[in-house]
Amino acid sequence: MTTADYFEKLAQAVIVGEPEQAEELARTALAQGLDALECIDRGLTVGMKRVGELFATGEYFLPDLIIGADAMKAALAVLEPALLDNQQRDVLGRVVLGTVEGDIHDIGKTLVGTMLTANGFEVMDIGFDRPAGEFVAAVEETNATLVGASTLLTTTMQQQKKIIEELTSAGLRDQVKVMVGGAPTAQAWADEIGADGYAVDAIGAVALARRLVGAEPSPGIDD
Amino acid sequence: MLGRYQILSEEEQRIVHDQSVQVLGEVGVKLLSDRALKILGSNGATIDTESQVARIPVEMVEQALETAPKSFTLGGRTPEFDVPLPSPTSGYVLDLGGVFTRDLRTGERRYATLQDNEDAVRVFEQMQHASVVWPHSIAEDTSRASALRATMSTLMNTSMHVQDELEEPADVPFFIETLAAVLGSEDAVRKRKLFSVVYCTLAPLVHEGQMCDAYLDAIEFEVPILIFPMPAAGSTGPGSLFSNVVLGNAEALSSLVLFQMARPGTPLIFGDASGSTEFSSGGFLEGSPEMVLQTGARGEMARFYGLPNTQAGCLTDAKEPGPQAVMEKMLTTLPLVLGGVDMVQGPGALETSGVLCLEQIVVDDEIAGLCERMRAGVDISESKDYSSDIRSVGPGGHFLMQDTTLEACRSDEFFLPQLSDRNTFERWTELGKPDIYGKARERVEEILAAPLNNPLPDETVGNLQEILRRAQVELQ
Repeated sequence: MTTADYFEKLAQAVIVGEPEQAEELARTALAQGLDALECIDRGLTVGMKRVGELFATGEYFLPDLIIGADAMKAALAVLEPALLDNQQRDVLGRVVLGTVEGDIHDIGKTLVGTMLTANGFEVMDIGFDRPAGEFVAAVEETNATLVGASTLLTTTMQQQKKIIEELTSAGLRDQVKVMVGGAPTAQAWADEIGADGYAVDAIGAVALARRLVGAEPSPGIDD
Repeated sequence: MLGRYQILSEEEQRIVHDQSVQVLGEVGVKLLSDRALKILGSNGATIDTESQVARIPVEMVEQALETAPKSFTLGGRTPEFDVPLPSPTSGYVLDLGGVFTRDLRTGERRYATLQDNEDAVRVFEQMQHASVVWPHSIAEDTSRASALRATMSTLMNTSMHVQDELEEPADVPFFIETLAAVLGSEDAVRKRKLFSVVYCTLAPLVHEGQMCDAYLDAIEFEVPILIFPMPAAGSTGPGSLFSNVVLGNAEALSSLVLFQMARPGTPLIFGDASGSTEFSSGGFLEGSPEMVLQTGARGEMARFYGLPNTQAGCLTDAKEPGPQAVMEKMLTTLPLVLGGVDMVQGPGALETSGVLCLEQIVVDDEIAGLCERMRAGVDISESKDYSSDIRSVGPGGHFLMQDTTLEACRSDEFFLPQLSDRNTFERWTELGKPDIYGKARERVEEILAAPLNNPLPDETVGNLQEILRRAQVELQ
């Protein structure tokens, strides 16, 4: 296989959604002496872009996106540790993500995490039922530029506000953009609590995150 | 006079049951409540303490099915609003689970207020097919006493049975005290059953901790529980209706077992609010044919077990009142009614139960009437045998002058719409081309302009306000 063949196969593994194959290919590529960063940029990222385009045209559905993202994550787990000291994956931003305290609903949040990872963000998912303080601590620890807080319940919506307040108290508010989501939330709520944005679903969250970090619009996501 | 609709054959219902029991025995359910795990463990379930999973043997399911009451009455504030279960016709549950309201004046979609809750329950009480109300979720009230406040507002504005969620054990004494203040005594709370709770398991196969504990307290006051799993086929549940029905049924049976083991004889409504998945966004869909096929099938499972049931239906994913809402609500009501469910939960809501629309409450009542007529079918009993008229009129005459016709034209034999237009084109034009939502709106305005029926005595309202003040301080 030529170098170009490896890139093409990595892209294909993402497009057809084969996490195990993607991981295996990544290993073989490294063993063959290929550059990890090139495998990411010319293989995985190209594949994910194509997945986004297929989604935009209605040929792909959410399960296709998720399995594609999962394939990308599996290969990234192999390739990232092999990056040279002077190399860095093109990361759009670092995101601290979690479901707020008092709420154990985490499917939507996890979905947002997967989609952000696949679209160039580095995600630290702190889990569900997490107090505001843990969001703040995670931001401090990771030097994140984005925070995503999810809630499904009207009774826990206030926790999103609390996270913003505690980020402010910790002197971190200027460093991060805060995104909120979940069934009872709305743009009006985001405005009221001083969040930087609101998204209705995982696709919307990627578009919002891209906008908040000033990234170029991406076909399939921002359409 | 069959006029019935069946989704699963008896043999298929048996398959669903067998598979559900296998899921409970092999996979089990996760309970985020030590108290619940202990109850199940001491009654024969295998408990994995670390993963908080209980595997429930078939014997426990059978025992629970024996102790669960087959009939009981959800009380209204006055007996005329009592809802005996099972019911010969389908009643309706006002769906105020969402946090948004479509403003009656401006049409704007905004966060709901307590006033919206009052208006909605007052309008719903005047509907012919209304049975039970859910208080609106009021996002603007951020205190922990918000649900209590909404329930009080509901009790003050309708005499109907109220159904709501309790969040944690600390809520229970305040709700019981509220009900006792309305009904006169704690004993009356147990007897009248004016209030019941909704228990949504978290698909797949998880029970929340705080809510579960709250309900374990509430059943000591004989508060009935609506068991209401809502797995979405293709996301929080498997990608076939068959297996998603099994999943929902397993979740419901696990709840049934828990509450029957905790207190045998606890009145339970075996309900379902399964949905399907919007495969581009991952969103929950409930105006879909797949939704009603599942909740209808789960209604059949309730009857398979001989349990009262409430099934989600009369629902829509439409964002606005209009053709999509009416089409989807009709689609998701008729099969349930023809299947004979006790109650349909959904009227009043738009946008996947996210938005309350007052006019929609009236439109949905018309849908309910149409469906009820369909369920009544063609009555071929002796009382409807008018073949003697055929003989007396003979060929070429008409039946407009028959005594039987005189009686029939104002009987249940012929449905009389309140909203649908049946005028000639000319008359309809003269009337200003009325549409169903316009007429519904007039009805809403008329109801809201009338004085409140059966208001609570001032003294009771004062007591409720005092309870609320304490709750706002103590529930933090």
